[in-house]
Amino acid sequence: MDLALKLDGVSRRYGAFAAVSDLSFSVERGAILGFLGPNGAGKTTTLRMILGLVAPSAGRVEVLGETDGRRLRARIGFLPEERGLYRRMTAVGAIAFFAQLKGAPRSEARRRARRLLDENGLGEAADRPVRALSKGMAQKVQLLSAIAHDPELVILDEPFSGLDPVNQQALEGLVRGLKARGATVVFSTHVMQHAERLCDQVVLIAGGRKVFDGRVADARAAAPRTLILEGALAADALAGVPGVAEVAAERLSDGRMRLSAKLAAGAAAPAALRAVFSRDLDVSGLELREAHLHDAFIALTGGGDAAPVPEASAA
Amino acid sequence: MKRMLLIALREYAAFVRTVGFWLSICLMPLGLVGVIVFSGLAARTAPAPRLAILDFTGGGYAAALTRSLSAGPTPTAVVVRPPPGAGDGYATAAARIRPYLSGGLDTPSGARLDAVAIIHGAAAQPALDLWTRNINEPGLQATLTAALADAARRRHLALDGLAPQTIAALDATQPKVTQFSPRSREGEVSLRDRLPGVAGFAMGVVLWSLILTGAGILLNSVIEEKQNRILEVLLTSASAPEIMGGKILGAALVTATALAVWAGVAGATFGARNPQLLADIAGLMVGRGLALYFLLYFAGGYLMYATLFATIGAFCETPREAQTLLGPLMILLTVPMIFMGQAVTRPDAPLLQALSWIPPFTPFLMAARAASNPPLWQVVGTTAAMCATIAVELWVAGRAFRTGALASGRFDVRLLLAGIAGRGEAA
Repeated sequence: MDLALKLDGVSRRYGAFAAVSDLSFSVERGAILGFLGPNGAGKTTTLRMILGLVAPSAGRVEVLGETDGRRLRARIGFLPEERGLYRRMTAVGAIAFFAQLKGAPRSEARRRARRLLDENGLGEAADRPVRALSKGMAQKVQLLSAIAHDPELVILDEPFSGLDPVNQQALEGLVRGLKARGATVVFSTHVMQHAERLCDQVVLIAGGRKVFDGRVADARAAAPRTLILEGALAADALAGVPGVAEVAAERLSDGRMRLSAKLAAGAAAPAALRAVFSRDLDVSGLELREAHLHDAFIALTGGGDAAPVPEASAA
Repeated sequence: MKRMLLIALREYAAFVRTVGFWLSICLMPLGLVGVIVFSGLAARTAPAPRLAILDFTGGGYAAALTRSLSAGPTPTAVVVRPPPGAGDGYATAAARIRPYLSGGLDTPSGARLDAVAIIHGAAAQPALDLWTRNINEPGLQATLTAALADAARRRHLALDGLAPQTIAALDATQPKVTQFSPRSREGEVSLRDRLPGVAGFAMGVVLWSLILTGAGILLNSVIEEKQNRILEVLLTSASAPEIMGGKILGAALVTATALAVWAGVAGATFGARNPQLLADIAGLMVGRGLALYFLLYFAGGYLMYATLFATIGAFCETPREAQTLLGPLMILLTVPMIFMGQAVTRPDAPLLQALSWIPPFTPFLMAARAASNPPLWQVVGTTAAMCATIAVELWVAGRAFRTGALASGRFDVRLLLAGIAGRGEAA
């Protein structure tokens, strides 16, 4: 298996605080990995270790076959969470500057910058200063700055943060484009819909520890499915139905009742449905909802934010 | 190296392409000229105080004082008639003039009274009480004191039988004093010989302000890039020493541009008004090597302080936070300014020599002393100590800068120490 990234038992401590503990996972070349976790889970620290900005306290990080981050600068692109651009620079100047820092000759860097801006509908904004761009446009320019040198691995820290749905979709398109040309993409987020739509693989961490590593479908399977019934129902109408772990009852505005029954992990939905039908309930609506990644995230992480990172540390 | 130059050029371009930069550069010399012109104008156009003189000694001093105050193109005071009743006696004079000086009354001629000189005591040994509205009136007391002393001396000499012509001849006797120095080419000390001292002082002051300006630019730039997380992006593209070196070089180029513009303006001004003086200054800077000293101490001082400021900036989220950390440093930086004047007038004073060996003071004090040809061993020794300090500082700052750039939250000295020890971030 050709790996772009491999973390093996990686930990990072800041004094007594463990930002990341014994984290292991790997990513195949050309894949899109969603790195998910609540705020303060250790996502940024892990990304910084991958980038070679922060040394692990223990374990080994191998990126594109190298363990020395300094040798990888030209092969990696990085988009930080929010901002990260010189506001007075023009869009084309900003992209070309970062491409030059990664080793591209000046004329080639500017040529690439213009091409990227044109390809992404920003040609007219090429010579405008970054501060004059909308947030969505600036975020696109930021991403183009991270990829103008044609990196093999692109790391994006919360790339969709603060964007409206239209710009989120545009950015998703850019990420798919990176995959299409063979780049490996790792992005952190706590918005599950993006991961669900984009990722070949997701890694969930909470409290600095890995809680899941696999395909999106596998993650969804780890969360309980929900059986939803609406009608003239009693709150305890589903009591004793096999496989039902917990039931939430809600009175609707038209007087009907909505019962949401979470099925226990591994429970057979047909058996539960048969039991419901056998009770001759006055049901006007019925839905068996598959778990979303969001449900898996809640189920796997416990739902809450992780403990805050101590001040003056770089987690 | 290529990345460092790229960062330096971006830093430079970011400043020199702004209108504000050129405005501030042009306004600085204009502001200086404005201050000089307008302060002179304000002094020249200020009305002379209106002074009344009361003489209770019988020595006839009022006339002598009036002559003295009116002498010269700009009279020190305009002598007016005293208020009614003020001359009745010394015991009541103060009470009579008070209402006029406190603004309650004008003189019978309708004029405002600003001061009253009351001469009292024996004619042979007069005393002067000077009442004024403005206790900071420049020159009035000194002029009256000198005029009264002169008048009393003349009176003594006249009573001793000296003819007025003899007294006038005595007054006109002024010894001719000529200063010589072995350092002077012609032996006799001229303005050209004093020029090195003035140039040394100017060099020290200009260095001080340039270094602080450059370091300040750097500090703000680093804080801004940390706030914007640009430093983090840069660290994925270049090493911490490359980033810090690039930023230091860029800010140095900005400072050098400002210096070049100011030097050009000063050169053009001197060249138009006094070409000989310009030639003398140029000869001094190039011929006697002061320009080399200036470059050496500018480079040393700038590196020393810029590195420190850049590191502080990397640990701060806001300029206000940086100001807190810079407080002690700014107090330290006032020391060379305090001693700068003495470094020119008494360059060999033991305390100054000792202070010159303290690396943070070396650039400023040695620049100021350079004109007085300090011993070569002191130049070499202090420069070596300065260079060693810079080397250590660069090593420490290179490690700390990375840690600071990636840190969040308030400044933490433990994190700084961990960074220096190499435990803060990646090696």
